[in-house]
Amino acid sequence: MNPFLTLVFLIFFCSTTAMAHPEYLQYFKKESGRAINCAMCHVNPEGPEGVNPGQIGSLNAQEKKMLALARLAKPGENIKNPILNDFGNELLNTIGHDKLVELEKDPGAIPGLLSKTSDLDHDGIPDYQELLDGTDPLNPNDGIPWKLFIHNFIKNWFQIMMITLATIFGVYGLYYTILWFLIRTKEEFK
Amino acid sequence: MSEKKKGLKRLIEFMQDRMPMHKFNFETLVLKKEVPLHRMSWAYYLGGLTLFFFLIQVVTGIFLLFYYQPTVSDAHASIEYISKYVHNGLFIRNLHTWASSCLIFCLMAHALTAFAMKAFAPPRELIWMGGAIMLVLGFAFGFTGYLLPWHQIAVNATKVALQSLDESGHYLPGVLSGAPHYIKEIIQGGPDVGQATLSRFFALHVVILPLLCFGVLGMHLLSVQLHGMSQGVDDLPKKSEKFFPFFILKDLIVWGVAFLGLFILAVCIPFESFYAFPFFQAYNALGATPEGIKPEWYFYFAYYPLEIFPFWLVMLGMTVMGVLLFITPWVFKKTSRRVLTILALIMTAYLVGMTFFGQAIYEIVKGVKG
Repeated sequence: MNPFLTLVFLIFFCSTTAMAHPEYLQYFKKESGRAINCAMCHVNPEGPEGVNPGQIGSLNAQEKKMLALARLAKPGENIKNPILNDFGNELLNTIGHDKLVELEKDPGAIPGLLSKTSDLDHDGIPDYQELLDGTDPLNPNDGIPWKLFIHNFIKNWFQIMMITLATIFGVYGLYYTILWFLIRTKEEFK
Repeated sequence: MSEKKKGLKRLIEFMQDRMPMHKFNFETLVLKKEVPLHRMSWAYYLGGLTLFFFLIQVVTGIFLLFYYQPTVSDAHASIEYISKYVHNGLFIRNLHTWASSCLIFCLMAHALTAFAMKAFAPPRELIWMGGAIMLVLGFAFGFTGYLLPWHQIAVNATKVALQSLDESGHYLPGVLSGAPHYIKEIIQGGPDVGQATLSRFFALHVVILPLLCFGVLGMHLLSVQLHGMSQGVDDLPKKSEKFFPFFILKDLIVWGVAFLGLFILAVCIPFESFYAFPFFQAYNALGATPEGIKPEWYFYFAYYPLEIFPFWLVMLGMTVMGVLLFITPWVFKKTSRRVLTILALIMTAYLVGMTFFGQAIYEIVKGVKG
């Protein structure tokens, strides 16, 4: 067997960091007041342990190799961990694996280390803010409602303006159609 | 004349008074119909507004039908597909969800104001009964529609509701004690909430309830048109306006404003954003149940009392209120509108309190932090 692969598999099987990180969940749940689960960072909402899609037990050899490499990830690298979703990988590639594990003791520092402009779901709420809010950074329909309202209102101002004009003209037209009908009715019943 | 014939004659007279079909002509319905003007006149628009949201539900519901798959394996995926890949699918979904809440809000507001205005006074008993049936149908629409996306909150909330129904049997005497379990089995269609339940809820939501609703709504609207608007206040109103065209024109403007408001809400705020995102993940029977599963906001008036008080007490209260809803025209026949308004205000305070502060009340009473 290739010595590199042997080393990779050794790292994988001996690693204790294959555990899920409930500390992060508990911290951001408490801070945001919203129920969150592993799906914030992981592919599978039940977390990394198990044999279902997106969990460690379901990975093929190539994915296991990627997982092992991800555990060596340094800040600024572009590694894709197969058990993490896009946001989880953003955390991994921005902060680095070792630092991320270290931050189990201080999860509150994580948002400060993330980019202030990155917004993976394009909902107008930066990813670091979604982490603080306890909302899904990959779902444009999930966010603090008033923040989504402001973003979507600005984004769709043209459609809103057009529908406002259409409603005003539509009501105006119907209004005068009914008045015309009234006049004709009165003439008929004279 | 025999007693049987007398009874039949009385029934015919009763129905003739309640459905005066001789008024079904252009002159009475259009030319002569008047709407009283007084401090409660704004409440006359609530019925029309409810109808407006119902029509929105019908149209958006038909659009959703083109893509929705009522199977446990595909229901959630089809909803995801509608939201992500169908052109304007998310907008239609949002319209449907927002309009359902607006519809039930207007239904409740319409019922409360109609109660305060004594709009059930003879000969309007059947109008009230029709409205009460539609209120129940509205809740049934909400309950059945809630399960269809087959996500975590949908399935788990339905399970809790059906379990509550089952448990109510423990408080019933004799043979009646088995009835709730029997009803639950009919609704559920199997040992647990599954494909049979989804199929039943889908059939109820898109065929049976709409058909019932169209029938009752037709009778309700026809009766209102035949009898005209209710007086609304104790003293005979001094002013009135023509239903056609002045009230209709104002109603049209109200519909326009409601449409605009609904459009902006549907475009700008996804309804799901009010809830935690794990609730909207596909239901996984083997996975963990997310914390904080609750029914839709319009069931909070029953949900929080169930969490706080003994089950039997809440069930008793709800049963009494349910029966009272249908016999209101006879129970409050001689009650003044002033007293009815106070009762309606107390009811409103209860509904608002439980909807907005139910969680806080629950935490205070139970000494827990949610």
